[in-house]
Amino acid sequence: MKRKCQDYESRLPDNTAVKQQQLPAFRLQLTASEILSGFFAIGLFCLGMGIILLLSAKSIKEVEINYTEKCATCAKLREEATNFDKECNCSISFYLPQKMEGNVYLYYKLYGFYQNLYRYILSRSNIQLVGADVKDVRNCAPFRTSDNGLPIAPCGAIANSMFNDTIVLWYNFNSSTHIRVPMVRTETAWWTDKYVKFQNPAFQNLSSAFAGTAKPPNWPKPVYELDEKDPGNNGFINDDFIVWMRTAAFPNFKKLYRRLHRIGNFTEGLPAGSYSFIINYNFPVSRFQGQKAVVLSTLTWSGGSSLFLALAYLVTGAVTLLASFSMMALHLKLKERKTFFLQ
Amino acid sequence: MGWRQSLQGADVPMGRTIYLNEPLRNAFCENSISTAKYSMWSFLPRYLYLQFSKTANAFFLFITILQQIPDVSPTGKYTTLVPLLVILVISGIKEIVEDYKRHMADKLVNSKNTIVLRQNAWQMILWKEVNVGDIVKATNGQFLPADMVLISSSEPQATCFVATSNLDGETNLKIRQALSETATMKTEKQLSNLSGKIKCEEPNFHFNSFAGTLYLNEKSPISIGPDQVLLRGTQLKNTEWILGIVVYTGFETKFMQNAVKSPLKRSKVEKVTNMQILVLFLLLLVMSLVSCVGAIYWKDRYRAEPWYIGKSDYDYHSFGFDLLVFIILYHNLIPISLLVTLEIVKYIQALFINWDEDMHFKGSNVYAMARTSNLNEELGQVEYLFSDKTGTLTCNVMTFKKCSIAGITYGDLSSKSDDGAKGFSQSPCFISDTYEFNDPALLQNFENDHPTKEYIKEFLTLLCVCHTVVPEREGNNISYQASSPDEAALVKGAKKLGFVFTTRMPNSVTIEAMGEELTFEILNVLEFSSNRKRMSIIVRTPEGRLRLYCKGADSVIYERLSENSLFVEETLVHLENFAKEGLRTLCVAYIDLTEIEYEQWLVMYKKAITVVKDRMKTLEDCYDSIEKKFLLLGATAIEDRLQARVPETITSLLKANIKIWVLTGDKQETAINIAYSCKLLSGQMPRIQLNANSLEATQQVISQNCQDLGALLGKENDLALIIDGKTLKYALHVEVRKCFLNLALSCRTVLCCRLSPLQKAEIVDVVKKQVKAITLAIGDGANDVGMIQTAHVGVGISGNEGMLATNNSDYAIAQFSYLEKLLLVHGAWNYFRVTKCILYCFYKNVVLYIIELWFAIVNGFSGQIIFERWCISLYNVIFTSLPPFTLGIFERCCSQESLLRYPQLYRISQTGDIFNIKVLWIQCINAIVHSFILFWLPAKMLEHDMVLQSGYTTDYLFLGNFIYTYVVVTVCLKAGLETMSWNKFTHFAIWGSIMIWLGFFAVYSSLWPTVPVAPEMTGQGSMALVCPHFWLGFFIVPIVCLIQNVAWKSIRNTCHRTLLEEVREMESSGVQVLRRDSVQRSKVEEVNLQRSASPRPCHVIFRNNSVDLGAPHGYAFSQVERAVISQEELVRSYDTTKNKPQKTFSSATLE
Repeated sequence: MKRKCQDYESRLPDNTAVKQQQLPAFRLQLTASEILSGFFAIGLFCLGMGIILLLSAKSIKEVEINYTEKCATCAKLREEATNFDKECNCSISFYLPQKMEGNVYLYYKLYGFYQNLYRYILSRSNIQLVGADVKDVRNCAPFRTSDNGLPIAPCGAIANSMFNDTIVLWYNFNSSTHIRVPMVRTETAWWTDKYVKFQNPAFQNLSSAFAGTAKPPNWPKPVYELDEKDPGNNGFINDDFIVWMRTAAFPNFKKLYRRLHRIGNFTEGLPAGSYSFIINYNFPVSRFQGQKAVVLSTLTWSGGSSLFLALAYLVTGAVTLLASFSMMALHLKLKERKTFFLQ
Repeated sequence: MGWRQSLQGADVPMGRTIYLNEPLRNAFCENSISTAKYSMWSFLPRYLYLQFSKTANAFFLFITILQQIPDVSPTGKYTTLVPLLVILVISGIKEIVEDYKRHMADKLVNSKNTIVLRQNAWQMILWKEVNVGDIVKATNGQFLPADMVLISSSEPQATCFVATSNLDGETNLKIRQALSETATMKTEKQLSNLSGKIKCEEPNFHFNSFAGTLYLNEKSPISIGPDQVLLRGTQLKNTEWILGIVVYTGFETKFMQNAVKSPLKRSKVEKVTNMQILVLFLLLLVMSLVSCVGAIYWKDRYRAEPWYIGKSDYDYHSFGFDLLVFIILYHNLIPISLLVTLEIVKYIQALFINWDEDMHFKGSNVYAMARTSNLNEELGQVEYLFSDKTGTLTCNVMTFKKCSIAGITYGDLSSKSDDGAKGFSQSPCFISDTYEFNDPALLQNFENDHPTKEYIKEFLTLLCVCHTVVPEREGNNISYQASSPDEAALVKGAKKLGFVFTTRMPNSVTIEAMGEELTFEILNVLEFSSNRKRMSIIVRTPEGRLRLYCKGADSVIYERLSENSLFVEETLVHLENFAKEGLRTLCVAYIDLTEIEYEQWLVMYKKAITVVKDRMKTLEDCYDSIEKKFLLLGATAIEDRLQARVPETITSLLKANIKIWVLTGDKQETAINIAYSCKLLSGQMPRIQLNANSLEATQQVISQNCQDLGALLGKENDLALIIDGKTLKYALHVEVRKCFLNLALSCRTVLCCRLSPLQKAEIVDVVKKQVKAITLAIGDGANDVGMIQTAHVGVGISGNEGMLATNNSDYAIAQFSYLEKLLLVHGAWNYFRVTKCILYCFYKNVVLYIIELWFAIVNGFSGQIIFERWCISLYNVIFTSLPPFTLGIFERCCSQESLLRYPQLYRISQTGDIFNIKVLWIQCINAIVHSFILFWLPAKMLEHDMVLQSGYTTDYLFLGNFIYTYVVVTVCLKAGLETMSWNKFTHFAIWGSIMIWLGFFAVYSSLWPTVPVAPEMTGQGSMALVCPHFWLGFFIVPIVCLIQNVAWKSIRNTCHRTLLEEVREMESSGVQVLRRDSVQRSKVEEVNLQRSASPRPCHVIFRNNSVDLGAPHGYAFSQVERAVISQEELVRSYDTTKNKPQKTFSSATLE
C-alpha cells in the first residue's frame, strides 16, 4: 500500500525538476583561481590578434590630400552661391614615393559636413528612389517641390547636396607624358543599393520617366543626365549618387569615388612617381567651414587601415595579461590563508 | 435573564425589517459572493485605469501621445505604442487568468448545499439561493451559510455550540441560546405558520454585537442580542441540528463585512524601484537638457543652418520643441518592459511557491499558496515575525500527557522520547493514541496494590467527576463534548486508564471505575474563572460521604493545602519539570467535608446567589470559604500540541536574525507555556512581566526596566518580555511608546497576551513604523486578519476550515514550519532574483540609450538616432527580454540545502544591501562606462569608413548596427555574469538572444521594398555579417566591457570572501562529501559559520519585581467564562440517559 502511494506520487507531473527548482545548473564562480586560465587565454589571444592587425595595418598605403586650401581661388568663388554656373578647375600635384600595390581606391573626404543631422537624414523619399512612384516627395521637406510646383526628383536635402566635384588622376610618367589613370566609376556602391534599393522608374526612356519632375535646385543637370554614356549608371542607379545617398555617421567622412582600372601601366597598382589631381571644383565647403580632401588607398583582408583596432587588441591583451598576473599573485598570497581558515 | 426582560420593547433604531414567511417582502442582497476583481464588462475600463495609474505606464502613454505630434518624434509614431500594447496585452492575460481563478473559487463557495424551508418542506438548495427570511436548518459540523437568528436547536434549553475560531480565533466553543419563545418551534408546520417580523440593525462588521427585535404576531416584542445570532463562517459543533432565520446574506454578513479588501501592499523593493525610476527620469531630463544646450551651442557655432539642410518650413529649433524631441529620443532609459517582466517573473515565482512539494501538507493535501505575487521578494527581508499562537504554533489539540500522583510521575517516557520526537516531527496534528498518555506503570501500580493505589484511584476519579464535560454515547463509543479542551483531554485521559465517565444527569454523574459503576451526586459546581484559577465540585460519593474535588493552578491550590497534605515537595518539583517542557499543568486536590460544614456553607451560598449587586464577587468569596485545607493528590500535565517542527523552525528563524514576537488573544499562562515548548523561552531566561493597571504604573515599570538594562538597551539580550493586552494599551500610549519599544526591541523574545485583534494590528503597525523593518504576521483566525493586513507580509495558516485569515493573507501555508522554507529559501531566492532582474533591466536600458547621447555629440544634437527605430523598440520586447526572465526565475544564489542549513545567509537579503539607490548609481555608472566603450570603440573602428573588402563606404546605420549587435552581446553576457547558476534556460536565453538578433538582423535587412519597412536597413545585414571588422569587434568590444566587471568581481570575491561565497565554494567543491558525512562536516562548518549567531547571556541585575527569574509555572486552563448560561446551569441541563428530541431532519425532502 505504501509503495503504491509512493509510485503514485512519483508519477505526479508536479514533481519535475523545473517545478521543484532542482534543475541542474552550472555554478558560475568568479574567484581569482577560477578565472585565471580564461584571463591568460584572452590576453594571449588579444595580443596575437593585435600583432596581426598591426602588421596588416602597416601594409596599407594611403595618400590623403586636402585641397580646400590648395584651391583657394575656387573656394572663394564657391562661397558666393550666385557663381554656381562658373567653372573652376584646380590642379594638385603630389609624389608617390612607393608604389601602391593591388586594388587602389579613390575616395573623396569631407570634413565638417554633418550628413547625420536628423532633418537631413529624414529628407529623402525611399519610395521615389526605388522607382515605385517618382512623384512621392512626402518626406523631402524642405526640397519637395521646385519653385514652379513640380516634385523634385530625386527630392530631399541629401540628394540636393550631392558631392559634385569631378576628380581626375593623372600619372606624370615623365615631364611630358601625362597618362590619365584609368578609373572605373561603377561598382562603388553596395550591391543591394544598386539593384534593390535604387531603381529607375520603369520607362523605356529615362528622360520621359522623369517627365513632370524638376531637378534638385543645386544640381546643374537633371538626374537622368548623370551618366549619359552608361544607361546602367544613369538616373537613380548612378553609383556616385547612390554612394552619396548613404549618409555617413560622422561629420568627417570618406566616400568611395573611383576604383583603379588595373590595365596597362596600372596592372600591378599605382607605380611610384609623380601624380596630379585635376579637380573640377564645384562643391562649396567653406560655406559650412568644412574642408575636402582626396584619398588614395589600398586595402587588406580586413578592409582599410585598422590601426585603431590593432591598438585596441594590443592594449586589451596587455591589460588582461597584467591583470591575470596580479591576480595570480593575489591568489597565491591568499591561498595560505584560506587553507588555514578551513581547518 | 433579568436583563433581557428589561430590554424588552426597548426601541432600538432599526435598519431593516424581515418578514417571516413572506419571501416577497424581503428584498435584500443575494447570498452569492464575489471576490473577483473584474466582471465581463468592467474589465476593459477598469484594467486600463489600473494600468495607467502606474506611473511608468502613464509615462509611456504620454510618450506615445507625444509621438503623434507631427515631426517631433525621431523614432516614428508607433515605436512606443506597439511595445506598450504588447505589454498591456500580456499583463491583461495575466489579470484574466488570475481573476478567472477567483471566479471559480467563488463559484465553489456559492454552490455549497444547505437546507431551507420552502413551500412548507425542507429543500436542499445552494448557498447562493439562500435569501433573507429563509429558515435554514444546519446540522452538526456544518458551516452556516448566512447570518441567522437561532430559533431552536436539538439541545436542551435550545442551546447550541459554535466554533468561532474562524472569526475571532478563540479556541473554546461559544454557546448560543434561542429565545424561549421560539425554542419549541421545531416542526415544519410550526415554522411555516410563523408570522411576524424581525427588526434589526443595518449590516455592520462587529462580530459581538447585534441588536434586533422579534415581533411575533399576538405576542409582545422580544429583543434579540448577540447570543441568539449565528454568523456565517462559524461552524456548528456538538449540536445535532439548529434552525435559524436568515437575517443577513452575502456581502452583508458580518463575515463578509469584515473581509475588507486587503490593502494593496507594495514591497520595499517596489518602492525602491519607483525611486530608482524617478532617478532615471531625472537622468532623462538632465540628458535632454544637456542635449538642448548642446543643440544651442552647435547652432551658435554654425550661426545658421548649413546650406545643405535647406530652409525649413517652420522653426524647429525652439527650445521646448527640442526638449520634447530629446525626451522622446531618450525615453527608453526607463525600461518599458520592466513592469511586465517583473509581473511575469513574480507570477512564476509565486507558482514555484505553489508547486513546492516541501510545503505540501500531505495530511490535507494542501499546497502553499501565494495569493499575491507582489511580495515575493519581501519574504527575503523579514526582520520581525509576529505569530499568533493558537492554530499557528499549536494544533489546538490538547492531550493528557503526564501526571504526578502521590509524588510519582507517570508518562515521563524519556527513554522513548527520541522515537516520539521523530514521529512527531514527521506527522503533525493527527489525533492518534500514540501521543496520548501511555504509561503502563500507572496501571501496574494500581493493580499491584502499590502503596499509592488509593491516591491513584482518587486522582482518576477526580478527573472523571470534576468537570463540565458532556458525554455522548454512540453505540459503545463514548465521545465527549466540552467547551474546555483541557477538561476534554483530562476526561479522555482518564477513560484510557479505565476510569470512564459515562453518564451525566442533571444532578449526578456516573463513572465506570475499572468496570465498577459509581454514581456521584453533584451538589454544587464551584465555577471556574480566570480570577479564581480553579474549579471545584462538591459531590456526594457513592459511599455517601461529602467530598470537594478541586483542580486549579498550583499557586492557588498550594495556598490552600492543609498541613497534613503529603507529597507537596515532590509534586512541586514535578510541576516545575512539566512547566519547563511547556506542558499545561493543573494541581488536583480534594477535601472531605463534614455534613455540618456543608450545611453552613450552603446557607451562605444560597444567600450569595440571590445577591444582585456584585454577585460574582460575593459568589467567589463564598466559594473561597469552603475551598481550604486541601489534600494534594497530584498534578496533571496537558500538552497543547505544537504543530510539526515548530521548535526547529523557530530556532532556525532566530538564527536568521528574525525576531519573533508571539501575539495571542489567549491567556498569559498559556502563552508562556507555548513559548517554553517551542524553545522561544528557555529555563534560565529572565522574564520581564509587565502587568499594570494604569498609565503611570506602566510608565514607571517600563522606565525602571529600561534603567536596569542600562547600556544593554537597544542590543539584543537574552531576555523575554511578557505583556498583557491591558498593559499594552497603556504601553502604546504616545508618551510611553518609545520607551516600551526600546525595551521590547532589547529582548530576544516578546510575548503579548490577551490582545484584541485590533491590538495585534496596532502593535504590528507600531513596530513597522518605528523600526522601519519588514514585518511578517502569521496567523490562522479572523482575529489575526488585522495584523495580517497590517504587516508588510501577511501569512495565513490554511487547511483548517477557517478561511478568513487565508483569504486576507498574502501567502497561505498549511504549517508554521513551512515558514522556514518560505522565508529562507523562497524569500531569499526571490529577493536575489527580483533585485537582480530590476538592476539588470535598468542596466540594459541605460547602456543602449546613453549611446544616443554619445551619438548626439557627433551629430550636432539634432536628435538623430543611430539605430533603426524598430530595432530600438524590439530591444526590450525581444532581443534582451529573455535574460531578465532567467535571472528573475531561475537564479539561485546557492542551493536550498545550504540556505536551510545556514540560516545566517538570510541576512544578506534581509539587510537589503544589494539593492538600494547607491547600488543603482553604481550600476548606472557601470552602464554608462559600458555604453561609452560600446559607442566609441566601434566608432573609432569605423571612423576611416573603409572597412569593407571592396572599398565600399558605409553609413551611420552601419555603425549603428555594429553597436547594436555589440550591445546585445554585451548585455546578454552581462546577464550571464550576474547569473550565479546557469541552467539550460539561462543558456538558451543568453545564446538564444544573440542568435535571435543576428537572425533578425539578416532577415530584416532584406525586407525592403517587398515589405514596406525599414528601407534604410536594406543590405545592412549582408554587408555587416561578412565584414571582418564586424567580427573582430564582436570579439573585442564585449570583452573590453565585461573584463573589468569580471576582474573586479573576482578580486572582491578573493580578497573579501563573504559568507555566501564560502558556502558556494563549499557547495561546488564538496557536494559529495557533504552528502556522505554531512553530520560530521556540518558540525565543523557550523562552528565556523555561527560566528555571531547566538546572543550573549544576560548579566543584568534587575531591581524591580516585574522580572521573574525563577522557574516557570505551568498553569494554564481554558474555559468559557461569562457565557449566556453558567457552567452549573449547563451541566445541570443535560441528561444523557434520555434520547434527544427527534430529528426532524429525516423528513427533509432532498432534491
